[in-house]
Amino acid sequence: MYKFAHIADCHLGAQKYPELKKLELEAFKTAVTRCIREKVDFVIISGDIFHSNIPDMNIANESVKELKRLHDSNIPVYVIYGSHDYSPNQTSMVDIIASAGLITKVVSGSFVDGKLRLEFTTDEKTGAKIVGLSARKRGLEREYFKRLDRKYLEEEPGFKIFVFHSGIDELKPEFLSEMESIPLSLLPSGFNYYAGGHIHKKILHEFGKGYIAYPGPLFAGSMRDLERSAKGSKRGFFIVKFEDEIENVEFIPIELCEFEYIEYDATGKTALQVREELLAKINSIDVNKKIVIMKVKGELASGKTSEINFSDLRRALMDKGALHVALNYHSLTTREFTEIKTKATEIEEIEDTLLKENLASVESRLDILKGEKGFILAKNLLSVLRQDQKPNERKEDYENRILREAISVLGLEEVLG
Amino acid sequence: MDIVGQIVGGGVSKITIREKSDKEIELGDLLVVEHDKEYVILQVYDLNYASQIPQDIREHVAGMQLEGYGTGTEFMEPELRNYIVADAKVLIAIENGTPKIPKRLPRFFSYVRHPQEKDFSFLKKPKNPIYLGKIRSGSKVLDLDVYLDANEVIRHHILIPATTGRGKSNLVKVMLWSLMDVENVGILVIDAHDEYYGRHSSGLKDHQNAKEKLVYYSPNALTGTNTLTINLRSIKPMHFEGIVDFTHAQEEAIRRYYNQFGDEWIIEIVRGTNIEGVDSRTLNVLRRKFDNILGVFTDEDGSIKCRTKVFSDVAGEATIHSIVSDMEDGKIVVIDTSRLLDQAELLIGSMITSEIFSRYQYYKSEGQLDDKPVIGIVIEEAPRVLGKEALQSGGNIYSTIAREGRKFKVGLIAVTQLVSEIPRDILANMNTKIILGNELSSERSAIISSASQDLSKDDRTIASLEKGEAIVSSVFTKFAIPIKIPLFEEMVEMDKGNGKSDDSEIVFVG
Repeated sequence: MYKFAHIADCHLGAQKYPELKKLELEAFKTAVTRCIREKVDFVIISGDIFHSNIPDMNIANESVKELKRLHDSNIPVYVIYGSHDYSPNQTSMVDIIASAGLITKVVSGSFVDGKLRLEFTTDEKTGAKIVGLSARKRGLEREYFKRLDRKYLEEEPGFKIFVFHSGIDELKPEFLSEMESIPLSLLPSGFNYYAGGHIHKKILHEFGKGYIAYPGPLFAGSMRDLERSAKGSKRGFFIVKFEDEIENVEFIPIELCEFEYIEYDATGKTALQVREELLAKINSIDVNKKIVIMKVKGELASGKTSEINFSDLRRALMDKGALHVALNYHSLTTREFTEIKTKATEIEEIEDTLLKENLASVESRLDILKGEKGFILAKNLLSVLRQDQKPNERKEDYENRILREAISVLGLEEVLG
Repeated sequence: MDIVGQIVGGGVSKITIREKSDKEIELGDLLVVEHDKEYVILQVYDLNYASQIPQDIREHVAGMQLEGYGTGTEFMEPELRNYIVADAKVLIAIENGTPKIPKRLPRFFSYVRHPQEKDFSFLKKPKNPIYLGKIRSGSKVLDLDVYLDANEVIRHHILIPATTGRGKSNLVKVMLWSLMDVENVGILVIDAHDEYYGRHSSGLKDHQNAKEKLVYYSPNALTGTNTLTINLRSIKPMHFEGIVDFTHAQEEAIRRYYNQFGDEWIIEIVRGTNIEGVDSRTLNVLRRKFDNILGVFTDEDGSIKCRTKVFSDVAGEATIHSIVSDMEDGKIVVIDTSRLLDQAELLIGSMITSEIFSRYQYYKSEGQLDDKPVIGIVIEEAPRVLGKEALQSGGNIYSTIAREGRKFKVGLIAVTQLVSEIPRDILANMNTKIILGNELSSERSAIISSASQDLSKDDRTIASLEKGEAIVSSVFTKFAIPIKIPLFEEMVEMDKGNGKSDDSEIVFVG
């Protein structure tokens, strides 16, 4: 009997707060330790090991140490790029680690007679045949799937694993209903296991003779992940036992800390009322060493949202020993002010909605600034401008790097020399 | 002017025309009467023999001819003495190019002629056109396309009554084909026969805009299309209203499960979880009922399975949301329910329809409705949800839409063989009727009595409509327009070659 581990969406480097950064790495270390202890034959990471293509150097260092542990235990690691750790115009940390021989990318292929022919990577010890398709932005990924040489993949004999980093229409959860995804029918059939990434929820779905599996994140790639963890979603990865067929798929939970979820509807209340009731709630619960997610929503009858003084609420929770406090009051409005309403609750979704809304009113003669093209350009530019200065990077180098990348995104290299 | 007859009598409701001997006037023919810059379009609804010779002499002469009493029994100047008279009604008067409801008779003894395309130049192609076919005069087809404005007619509902084999599906396909070119219309087609997408033959998939405009769900998905999978958690008790009959005890049990388990209510019933206040016999009946309707049951491991694979406790969480979003994006969503039982099909329709209606109610309350496309819901065998029997136990989402949908830009495209089964108040709300042939007298009366124009004289015309012939009666047309609907397959064939190439070069980066 052979075993492999299926991990996805580690999003190393996603967290900004030290206490969460620590937990994020801890989750990865725990998964690696468990894989070594379970003596898995290989590990599959189906995208988004890192939160960005070039993560913080400390994160890179710590994760390389963990991958080295697997390497030293003779456990090969097979990976694909995710939607976060790939850059179309830059080298990714995934490439560097692959070049060092600690991981193997399983995405290889070419167009043959208009069809995309993917080549299998065979795991030496188990003979499992692994093939992958990395995440790509906006439609290209779907196009790859549509043009897959399905027959070639389906006719390959043996125990086969298809690794991918895409949402699937039929399997994505309701809270990700707006996520770009592909229909189930675009997956090639006949594989024993479909190792998915990108959907941040544990899903195990019978498909043909095997399973489509999404382990979800090891810890959290976003505020929403933390919120869902606090609401009870389990985080972890799969260990799959197999011979010629799948024998068993087991979810290995990773529980590093406790969560407390507080949801409060402020509709019809005054700002001061909300403040008092929330403080009373805080006093009545045990938050010691817990991650506290507090979501305040609704429309205040009077007063400003600032009068609730969320800093005070945060302080009160921290004073009671909370490990970390995340406040979400994006859905809180007040009658006293007119705000742009959006149904989104994640910062990225809100950003997308606002960009699209505002782009609709932009008058420009340039196609690239309008509609979907304008939206993608703005998103890419924002993602460049959002980058932090790297440790030991001089300010001037940092500024030059950002400027260079921004010019490249805008396609102005030739104009500006 | 090519004269075919002359007005010889009658009144407002019946104009009598003598047919010219070498011309032919057919039942349903459109005829034109000109006067100065005005003209009037008439439609023939009855034809009769007329003669200057008394009946007993005609019978006597016929007897002589039949029994072989020699030659020379022909009438003198027969074209003057024996002729045909047509009864016609005034459809529309055109004054200085503007169509008006006629309020006076055409001049006595006016000549009448067959219409030409230019006589209908007042018919304009609207901004959001639904194509129905070409204008028909009797069995003759004029080269003049008939369109309705999708934005107006869909939100005010369309009824397509006809008996089997008169071309209902062909008409809906033709309409949907033309809507593939229209941006501001979202359509839901619950396709009980899997005939609209074109899995095995021509279909909407062959349209040049199919890639952007058409979404297809099927339990047996083709590569690149969506698998119809609906999560059991998406089903609410209200979705069964007017679709499945539950006893009072069963309704009460459902209410209790929903209160206790929320979205998990149906899963817990299927699992057979006992709860306080629900008799185990009632629970077992409900389990059997859901097994029958949805095909869901638990296997020996306690896992939930579905015979049709459409309902799931794992997959399909976002399906309803995605379908509704696609409609909101102005797409045509075709759902193949050919493998499902009647009630499961209606349930899925009810879930989607409830969601879109609820969203549009919200948009209206937020003042955003004007930015949204009009939504049409194609429902076949409409009396299943709009019939008197279905509505006996209270309303359902379809009857709500029939009554209130126009305020929220949501309308029905209801297809039926049995109009008489639909209550009058609902029929009265369906402001466009595309009437195909119908041999059932009771159905014709129901259609005629609810039409937007006075069709009281058209009973015989409707009975005699051939396959593909129809009459469009709408509050958005000045008169009931006779049309000839093209064959869908021919339409697809004609549009071939307009397809967009999907072979753009892409590079693979691993």
